[in-house]
Amino acid sequence: MDALWLIPTFPLLGFLVLFLSQGQLPKIVVAIVGAGSIGLAAIVALVVGNAFMDAGAEPQTQLLWTWMRVGGFVPEIRLYLDGLSLVMTGVITGVGFLIHVYATGYMWDDHEEPEGFGRFFAYMNLFVFAMLMLVLGDNLLVLFLGWEGVGLCSYLLIGFYHRDPNNGYAARKAFVVTRVGDTFMALGLFLLFRELGTTEIQASLVAANIAWPEGSTMATVIGLLFLGGAMGKSAQVPLQTWLPDAMAGPTPVSALIHAATMVTAGVYLIARMHDIYIISPEAQFWVAVTGLVTLLISSCTALVQTDIKRVLAFSTMSQIGYMIMALGVGAWSAAIFHLMTHAFFKALLFLASGSVILALHHEQDMFKMGGLWRKLPIPFMSMLVGSVALAALPLTSGFFSKDAIMLTAADNPAAGMVFWGGAAVAAFMTALYTTRMILLTFFGEAKTAAHDSSGWNMNGPLVVLCGLALGGGWFGLGIVSGVLPDGGMTTHDHFSQIALVTMAMPLVGILTGWFVFGSSRGDVTQLLGTVFSENVRRFWYSGWGFDWLYDRAVVAPFVALARMNKNDFVDLVFKLAASTTRGVHHLLAVIQNGRLRWYAWNMALGLVVVFVVVMWEVMG
Amino acid sequence: MNFALSIPLEHVFVLAAALFCIGLTGVLVRRNVMFVLMSLEVMMNACGLAFVAAGARWAQADGQIMFMFILALAAAEVAVALGIVLQLSRRFDSLDVDAANEMHS
Repeated sequence: MDALWLIPTFPLLGFLVLFLSQGQLPKIVVAIVGAGSIGLAAIVALVVGNAFMDAGAEPQTQLLWTWMRVGGFVPEIRLYLDGLSLVMTGVITGVGFLIHVYATGYMWDDHEEPEGFGRFFAYMNLFVFAMLMLVLGDNLLVLFLGWEGVGLCSYLLIGFYHRDPNNGYAARKAFVVTRVGDTFMALGLFLLFRELGTTEIQASLVAANIAWPEGSTMATVIGLLFLGGAMGKSAQVPLQTWLPDAMAGPTPVSALIHAATMVTAGVYLIARMHDIYIISPEAQFWVAVTGLVTLLISSCTALVQTDIKRVLAFSTMSQIGYMIMALGVGAWSAAIFHLMTHAFFKALLFLASGSVILALHHEQDMFKMGGLWRKLPIPFMSMLVGSVALAALPLTSGFFSKDAIMLTAADNPAAGMVFWGGAAVAAFMTALYTTRMILLTFFGEAKTAAHDSSGWNMNGPLVVLCGLALGGGWFGLGIVSGVLPDGGMTTHDHFSQIALVTMAMPLVGILTGWFVFGSSRGDVTQLLGTVFSENVRRFWYSGWGFDWLYDRAVVAPFVALARMNKNDFVDLVFKLAASTTRGVHHLLAVIQNGRLRWYAWNMALGLVVVFVVVMWEVMG
Repeated sequence: MNFALSIPLEHVFVLAAALFCIGLTGVLVRRNVMFVLMSLEVMMNACGLAFVAAGARWAQADGQIMFMFILALAAAEVAVALGIVLQLSRRFDSLDVDAANEMHS
């Protein structure tokens, strides 16, 4: 237990070593420090987790130091370990370690940024540190520190290939869009502190239960503000537009940040503050609606993408939509369960796609791939395993978690059948686009020559993740059941009609996908031939026009305003001061001409003026 | 003792004012530095005359004391000014006050 503080310390040390050495270390040292620090953190997490389970899974805290002392406001840097933060820590360090190992291979011979090896791992370690502070902090301020920290690292890593201005644009977009959510989050935090007088999570949850009756407006407002924060970080509609562009970063970054960990921060936040949503069912209902809308929109969008990483990005959005919806319908532990299994299979999918992309020399267009299954056997197997888990075929890890979510959603009293129906349609779409991705990438004619150069450090993590993606469902949920109110997965009759339909959806999707995309390609072209379907395709391809809408509604007016105010009107004040000074200077230059008699004339004139004034006074 | 003035005070002041204006005109219009200094001397003496006359009119010693100051001032001024005039003529080979103007505005 005393070793808890070591978990975030190792990544921080790794970051400091890599950052302060400024790329002077040899690559092999960078690889050992970069991946090793996370590995050590993972080992400590394992030991701590074991001790925690042996001790009866009682929540434990560890006070590190007091952050500041301002009157009655004394936020402490205190680590808090319970089932929820243990699961998160395990995912972050475990999956994070595998991705770091993979990245040592992926980034080794990077052509675009050959000097950036050390920088890359420095950012990655800093990211893991920030994410660990986010989940381990027992104070909303510490959580917010981690929250902003992961945002910063996300910015740095999306823009890692900074020589291309488009990547810089993508990085800025991610930063600005998530900043909108962060603002909501900060407002919620301030409001919570004003109302309850504390920012400590456990204390504030206890205080909230005492202070607010069920359905309290204040709880609703704070709950919705936190939902706004979660929307930004977890890429939920309407703040989802940054995630597809975030694929500009290197593929391990996409795997770590934009699939396995950072984007789940919003899910963690809502799960952590679950008491507020239980007090306010209205806020919880909107959480569910947000998740439902996101999972529907993004699964349609994923179906028509051509870039393999964008398919995975939209699928991430839709899977997080499932988690958010699960939180909204009260399937608390199922949401965290899905978070964990999703981290396994989505990291696997991203890493496998990274191997494919590397083998094709950074080709990401699926229509230029094809026929790769024989040349890239390990990435193919990994992709296949990841896909069946994503599509939630029975007995894979995704099946258990998604099934639990959908069956709980169906029981929801508010709009159970709507939630279940939406999720079922999205499950069908998920299977459909996954099949399409596999068929386009690995089957059919080979269109680009593949050159497999991945070593053990890239294939090893893939194999381990394959095992987790297949078998991760057997972990079950006992560990978070003590923390979250539903007491683990809801037990259902697994042979009821609704359960059978839920189970059948992925199979139907895969068969449909095989029929449409696999058997004869003519069917698709025929389907896309009509004007209507072409318009639908274009609409879906653009992500339901959100980028277009925001360009018109936010970006264009802002740019116009900026252009109008190009000569900043506030500057007028300063420009006035400058021009006054310059005018006086010219005046003085005219009269200070060095001619003695001119000075004498002026003195005489002054004398006359004084004389006249005095006389005026005396006479008047 | 009564130094009753036989000349009216106004007349003396008009004379002093006339002298002052003559001196001022000389300072303003002459370019030769020697003439400028002489004109200054005239102006100071005009002031001195006004002081002495006023002192006599109100039977106060202040007027004559002020004249003493003016004399001392004139002596000091001439001592300094003649030094400058010497330098001026050496350096610029001219007694024109405008010749020393090195500002190019």
